[in-house]
Amino acid sequence: MKSSALNLGPAAPALHGPRRVPVAWRALLARRETALLGVIVLVVTAVSLGAHGGFWTRVNLDGLMVTCAITAVPAAGMTLVILTGGIDASIGSMLGLVSAIGGLLFVAGWPVAAVVPVFLLAGAALGWINGLIILCGRVPPIVCTLGTLSIFRMGVFLMMGSEWITALPPGLTRFFVADHLGPLPGAAVIALVIMAALAAFLRVHRTGRRLFAIGNNEEAARLVGIPVRRLRWMTYTILGACVGLGALMRLGQSPIVQTTTGSGFELGVIAAVVLGGTELSGGRGGMFGTFLGTLVVGLVGDAIVLMHIQPFWSGVVLGSIILASVGLNEGRRARQVVS
Amino acid sequence: MNRLELRGIVKSFGGVRALKGVDAVIAAGRTLVLLGENGAGKSTLIKTLTGAVRPDEGEILIDGTPVVLRDPMHARALGITAVYQEPMIFPHLSVLENIFAGCEITDRFGRVQTEAMLRAVRPWLSSLDLAESLLHRPMADLGLGHQQLVLIAQALVQGARVIVFDEPTAILSRAETDRLVGIIHRLRDDGRAIVYITHRLEEVPRLGDHVTVLTDGRVTGDYAASEVTEDLLLRLMMGKRHDAGPEREAIRPSAAAGASSAPPVLSIRGLSHSRHFHDVDWDASGGRITGIYGLVGAGRSEVAMTVFGALRAASGRILLDGREIMPRSPAEAMALGIGYLPEDRKKQGIFAPMGLESNLTCTGLSRLSHGGWLLNFPAMLTETQAIMRRFAIKADTPGTAIGTLSGGNQQKGLFARWAGQTLRVLILDEPTRGIDLATKAEIHGFIRQLAQAGTAIVVITSDLAELMAVSQDVIVMRQGRVVDRFRGTAVTAERVLASAIGAATSSQEHAA
Repeated sequence: MKSSALNLGPAAPALHGPRRVPVAWRALLARRETALLGVIVLVVTAVSLGAHGGFWTRVNLDGLMVTCAITAVPAAGMTLVILTGGIDASIGSMLGLVSAIGGLLFVAGWPVAAVVPVFLLAGAALGWINGLIILCGRVPPIVCTLGTLSIFRMGVFLMMGSEWITALPPGLTRFFVADHLGPLPGAAVIALVIMAALAAFLRVHRTGRRLFAIGNNEEAARLVGIPVRRLRWMTYTILGACVGLGALMRLGQSPIVQTTTGSGFELGVIAAVVLGGTELSGGRGGMFGTFLGTLVVGLVGDAIVLMHIQPFWSGVVLGSIILASVGLNEGRRARQVVS
Repeated sequence: MNRLELRGIVKSFGGVRALKGVDAVIAAGRTLVLLGENGAGKSTLIKTLTGAVRPDEGEILIDGTPVVLRDPMHARALGITAVYQEPMIFPHLSVLENIFAGCEITDRFGRVQTEAMLRAVRPWLSSLDLAESLLHRPMADLGLGHQQLVLIAQALVQGARVIVFDEPTAILSRAETDRLVGIIHRLRDDGRAIVYITHRLEEVPRLGDHVTVLTDGRVTGDYAASEVTEDLLLRLMMGKRHDAGPEREAIRPSAAAGASSAPPVLSIRGLSHSRHFHDVDWDASGGRITGIYGLVGAGRSEVAMTVFGALRAASGRILLDGREIMPRSPAEAMALGIGYLPEDRKKQGIFAPMGLESNLTCTGLSRLSHGGWLLNFPAMLTETQAIMRRFAIKADTPGTAIGTLSGGNQQKGLFARWAGQTLRVLILDEPTRGIDLATKAEIHGFIRQLAQAGTAIVVITSDLAELMAVSQDVIVMRQGRVVDRFRGTAVTAERVLASAIGAATSSQEHAA
């Protein structure tokens, strides 16, 4: 491939490849999505056999779908951030802080209709602050968000003291978990709609394509007049709003806010995105991969519970899957150079 | 736009004046070749033209009206675009998306209109010899030559009237170069103004209607391309250094002195690597320069890196002064008195953001520290200043980041890393690639000095002229094997080239 690509002109054969069909098959097999589907089938089979029928129950499947949805919405936002070459490690504390703010407003007796937008806006505001520090302060994203991870957590302590918030409206649980559209609980429907919308945005909208461009080559993007700073800032803000929505859905699943709420949450979300094939260096990836990555992360957690494996193994399994998937990426790259 | 004019452009960076009052006229339907060696101010001039740099003095006129180019976006809006040597691309986006990056055609909801973009680019494809099926491939699949064409398409789609090419052929093959030249002629005949920047003399008559020579930030010549000779251009480019030109005085120096009788300092016997080279024998004598010639991929660098401890051989022996060695790391090799200047300046050579001081002294830090571990900054500074004087490295201060210097100055710096060490063997891998003639000649002079001091020098080069100019012994490699060797005999370039490409069949020894 390499030598023929160096030949100029329409006669360069490898660039026009007559072997279209086998190439398409090979491309399909080499795709990460195919591998992820394989992992999903594998885990589902294992858990179907190993959990004595515990997997295919209404209760388990609903719980699994809601759990996946709570990861999926922030993961959708995180996909935008990582595509531009950024990262946000603060979303666990962000989720805690948004939950605390919203929870206290519920306790203060605000109506649900007034508090729901607060979740989204508070999340967006915290994401906006990350963007401010990263883009105006020129702080590397990982450094900034590790900082705000601690700072937002401090905010949770300051707001809640040692109290728990449990007086939350039952309507949340009803809407996100109990109500169904077909087989899907409310949270899953919302997550699917958001992912589909952002997927379309990334695929066909000018701004979405520009996020890819920024992740590919930030300097070149700047030189062709793409407003790099504004768009990167936007991704952090959108991620914040997604985290706000995730926080709201989590209160539907388990109606309690503690000072530790959300700690460690960022790992599952980042894992889902990376597993889905969005490269940490930016510029490559997409929403469908994130969707599958979310399923894998959710399924692995569920399988561990159902098969009575000690919970700390879930971290080991997830970690191994991530390492294997990075290896897959490396392999894919190596093949491209050779072919 | 019919006429773009630069008047008295002056630009300084720090204390260094890169442009000292440059005038140039760029006219529609004409190709202006801007000729100059590296460091003459060509890059700064392009950046001025494209709005990436604002001049300190002077003005830019479009059709007689002065304009201030605020940034590259603004220059592009006025129809001025540059195609850089190493293309600025988005590797994982499609070719079509690369062409329209930043100026996508969308409907009123911001949805990208692929069909409309295809329609807009289609008229340009044939004149660029780009196949339409390429448009949907990822940019990373294309070779550099094609990528340049894509960037030209980008410029055309955006309505460029002035296209600046920055040494575009430096990375292209001969066929790609011919193709590009044809395209440039078509663009010119189409009424565009072309600015073509190069340091290759031979390109002037093929390309230019007009040639402007830039030396040390000043215009030193301004001619119609038809009325110049290579000699004249060379004299203009070299400026005052021309008279000293060591390159011309010595072609194959002391080749007639014959092979020395002393045993070689470095001997390689039957060295093999699983992939890169097989059964290689090299000999390099003290005080002599051994040239290793071959095409890219002949395994020359890999042998050198094995000697330097950066690669592992599968079998074979390396002898230094008759003692068998097998360095397991570059540090071990250096302790044995072996130095290696790698071929890729940017990736394997310089520490770009760090100062000259750190870059030049990094091989001698044990000497330049107290007790071997606490750095002696005054000594490092003194040494750096001495090196800068000795090798005429042009920079503001010893602390200037090496990445901001011209390629020639960077290369001199890398050379100086080793020149100050006490070495038995120094292997120089493409010591003058991509640098200008004058600096090249300077470095050749330094190499000879080192050899005269007794070091065994090995010069790996793909530049036949360089091989003939510096080496006393020649080893030719092809596809991982030594195919020919000449010790101290008169060698013809044709003979060496024939061996390297496989036109000469048997491996043989030519002794004096």
